[in-house]
Amino acid sequence: MMESRSFIKGFSVVLLSLFLVLMFFVSAQAEQKVIKIGAVYPLTGNIASTGIDCKRGVDLAVDIINGKYDLDLPLAKSEGLPNLGGAKIEIVYADTKGDPKNGMSEAERLITSEKVVAMIGAYQSAVTKTASQMTERLAIPYVCSDSSSPTLTERGFKYFFRVSPHDDIFARNQFQFLKDLEKKTGQKVQNVAVLYENTEFGSNAGRAYKKYAAEFGYNVVADITYAANATDVTSEVGKLIVSKPDVLMHASYITDAILFTKTFKDMGFQPKGIMTMAGYIEPGYLAAIKADGNFIIVRSTFALDLAKNKPLVGKVNELFKKKYGIDMSENAARSFMAPFVLAEAINRAKSTNPDAIVKALHETNIPGDQTIYPWEGIKFDPQTNQNIYARGTLVQILNQEYVTIWPFDSASKQVVWPFPAWKDRK
Amino acid sequence: MRNFTAQQIMTGLAILLLLIFFPLVVRQSFSIHVMILVFMFAMLGVAWNIMGGYAGMYSFGQAAFFGIGAYTSSYLSIAYGVNPWIGLVAGGCAASLVAAAIGYPCSKLRGHYFAIASIAFAEIVRIVFNNWKAVGAAEGLSLSMKNESFANFLFNTSKLPYYYIMLVFLLISLAVSYFVATSKMGYYFRAIKESHQIAGSLGVDVVLYRLMAIMTSAFLSAMAGTFYAQYILYIDPGSVMLLATSIQIVLIAMLGGAGSIMGPVIGAAILIPSSEYTRVTLGYKGTGMDMVIYGLLITLISMYYPEGVWKLLARIGRKMK
Amino acid sequence: MPDQLLQQIADGLLIGLMYSLVAIGLTLIWGVMNIVNFAHGDFLMLGMFTSFWLFTLYGIDPIFSIPVSFLCMFAMGTLIYRFIVSKVMKGPMLAQLVVTFGVSIFISNLAVYFWTPDFRLLPATILQGTWQIGGINLSVPKVAASFGSVIASVCVFLFLKRTKTGKAILATEMDRDAALLMGINTERINSLSFGIGAALVGVSGAFLSTYYYIYPQVGGLFGIIAFCVVALGGFGSIEGAFIAGILVGLAQTLGGFFFDPSYKYAIVFMIYLVTIWIKPQGLRGW
Repeated sequence: MMESRSFIKGFSVVLLSLFLVLMFFVSAQAEQKVIKIGAVYPLTGNIASTGIDCKRGVDLAVDIINGKYDLDLPLAKSEGLPNLGGAKIEIVYADTKGDPKNGMSEAERLITSEKVVAMIGAYQSAVTKTASQMTERLAIPYVCSDSSSPTLTERGFKYFFRVSPHDDIFARNQFQFLKDLEKKTGQKVQNVAVLYENTEFGSNAGRAYKKYAAEFGYNVVADITYAANATDVTSEVGKLIVSKPDVLMHASYITDAILFTKTFKDMGFQPKGIMTMAGYIEPGYLAAIKADGNFIIVRSTFALDLAKNKPLVGKVNELFKKKYGIDMSENAARSFMAPFVLAEAINRAKSTNPDAIVKALHETNIPGDQTIYPWEGIKFDPQTNQNIYARGTLVQILNQEYVTIWPFDSASKQVVWPFPAWKDRK
Repeated sequence: MRNFTAQQIMTGLAILLLLIFFPLVVRQSFSIHVMILVFMFAMLGVAWNIMGGYAGMYSFGQAAFFGIGAYTSSYLSIAYGVNPWIGLVAGGCAASLVAAAIGYPCSKLRGHYFAIASIAFAEIVRIVFNNWKAVGAAEGLSLSMKNESFANFLFNTSKLPYYYIMLVFLLISLAVSYFVATSKMGYYFRAIKESHQIAGSLGVDVVLYRLMAIMTSAFLSAMAGTFYAQYILYIDPGSVMLLATSIQIVLIAMLGGAGSIMGPVIGAAILIPSSEYTRVTLGYKGTGMDMVIYGLLITLISMYYPEGVWKLLARIGRKMK
Repeated sequence: MPDQLLQQIADGLLIGLMYSLVAIGLTLIWGVMNIVNFAHGDFLMLGMFTSFWLFTLYGIDPIFSIPVSFLCMFAMGTLIYRFIVSKVMKGPMLAQLVVTFGVSIFISNLAVYFWTPDFRLLPATILQGTWQIGGINLSVPKVAASFGSVIASVCVFLFLKRTKTGKAILATEMDRDAALLMGINTERINSLSFGIGAALVGVSGAFLSTYYYIYPQVGGLFGIIAFCVVALGGFGSIEGAFIAGILVGLAQTLGGFFFDPSYKYAIVFMIYLVTIWIKPQGLRGW
């Protein structure tokens, strides 16, 4: 069975090659003129198109920080960080492939080998969880602006900060809308159906939906969960139809958003309103589903029509379009903000020392008009490190565009309610 | 073949010493992480080997046992404060029981049928865990980072304890594998692999031995699962019960040499660093080229070196004499 | 409620017939060569992309590009057999199991490399909309796909039973050595079967592309379900795959509707496991 000499030779060959491969990971000393920030995103794999979308937002932010732009964004008007002699930000990317264990190991590698001073990312909440566990262990600040699981800021972490709203806030927004709608137009809603995909994101959203339904006094007539990559969703939609809801609330990714929309149309499911999260606002969704997406309402932190009241949004989108040839999407817009928050804090701290950055983050108070969102500003809660001003808006797809319809005082158009019948459309 | 030559013992010790000193010399934590993964996947490959390489039951569902181990120890730790080391044993037992329950009806299945059944089984397990509210369903379980100690199987300040623990686990699984291979049990396994009917007609209790192979394999895989949970501190069905992980385990065993003791170790030593390395250098561009290379590698190995690198090295070694 | 029940049954039939179509190619390959083609789902994906690019670049509707999908995938299947699979036929079983995994990973990631991981949907094609019959809605593309499935199954069945080549294939399926003794060129039969198997799933891809979203990893779940369908119907049996596909479709839809949609695939896998325990050769297998 075992040839002793070949055993030695064989094993040495393998070990040698192993060592050679591993030596590659000993990286050269980095130059100190730049401030390195690590970014973990799913750049390959099933969710790569989203990861790359987020990367676009981050890269544009870095361009603006490092360059000189006449924009009312933190550090835009100067090149680099003025308090640190114009030092530039450099983002070091790592691909997580959507796997939480890679989130952890890449965060560690970025910190220990690449010597990044802070971290951003990772879009998927499960990956952000492990990546931030590592940064917490290694005492490095992590500013997240694109993961929406509420649990991320409920862990009592000292080094983890979140800029963007989370799904609990989004769910509450949707019920606030229903109450506002009733007040404004007298249209009443009684029965709500809750539909959500069965990974961490969906099930957290589902939980939030049910909680607020009870709090706001609505009846949950259907509570359905499913696998995002299902081959067919006729059973799910069938159950929705027989439950006869007034409103459907759906938390999905893009693949299920596409499949469900088609099935809604095929099976003639039309409640008074369809209110959704995430998947429906991915750029690929409308590109695929086209006019069938009309009249669906989606939660959002960003919409292009915000530019009406906030010219900054229009200017940033122009830059985005110039660089990438497409309009800024919600994902890119969310990831866009984290580099600014970090750079602004580092600049104020006049240091890249992690604890100094964290202290500066606690004092962050960026006014709303220096952001591209409809927020009062960015300020972190001292206990949870969640941005207290983060909130969502609701957009409705009208003529294949995302139009802000709530809050009513920032709406650019009136919401179309109820959901027009499928057969009545062209 | 129970006796080793002096030369083999010396070589084995030399390599062991190298591995022991490795993390003290190479201080890059990412490199140490890669080695930990190599040990973990090597152990999973060795576990697979016991039912696959030795007994001919090609399972493509090992991730289910890995996940059951991870979940059992984590749940017991979070809900009842049970020490993870005890949870380790509990996880192994749980996985073995499940293995026996599924293994019994599947023991008559052969080759492709068994393979597909293992995939179906693993997917059922994953779907169940994904919907099981008591163990966190899709949100998974997060383990606390507090109170690091050996007794708590938790280390924050350094990776080294994890490295050595995993190495010890691997050695344990290799010992089990060696014992199985050289004992009467291993002899029966090989007979069953060749032909059920002949083995049965020779008086071998085919069903019993198949069950033993499956249960041993499950126990070891579950141990690796508990290790993973204590190392990463977060598990969910999407990360510990994936079909892709099960497939990777089979590839590692096959690449290294299914049916040989050290085969899976070599397989892991080649596949894991190369996939981590290609992801780090090529992955961030988002082109998927690293996976294209991976797929190509697997195809070529199946075509030209199906017996694995181990046999290839043996052949080279013989030629060099 | 009875309305919805009928709707669910109808949809179960429709998706089931699609599964049948996907599975027929797989069972042919399996029956003749005893090889599990794990790249089957990726052939489906390639069939979908062929249809997509023909439509996007040349405006050819999927109905008309079906013959093209058939021929392209036939060629691809034959090539893969000749250059890759044939080499492992004499090797250990494990290599046979693993080689198509390698091909699967290679193909799906090459698709990512060339076409990006984005999701695509075919816009208005000729097969569009829904028919309303007796209170239930039937999606036209799905009905067309079902027709396609029935026609393809019948064609393959007749081909195997009535033509000389077809009978040679059946003979090889039944007893390889005997076939060799009878003078049948089993290598050529292998290659032909692999090609036809790939072509059939390519056609199902063309049909699927009229209503499902297209992306490099789309083959995954369809592939696993196809394995269960084939095993349920019995390896090598065309009629078996056809019936099993329908059963799986109904089980998935009705199980999901009456029980819990989050478990619907678990139900499918469970049915597979139970069948295989009771009757290992499947419903109509060899």
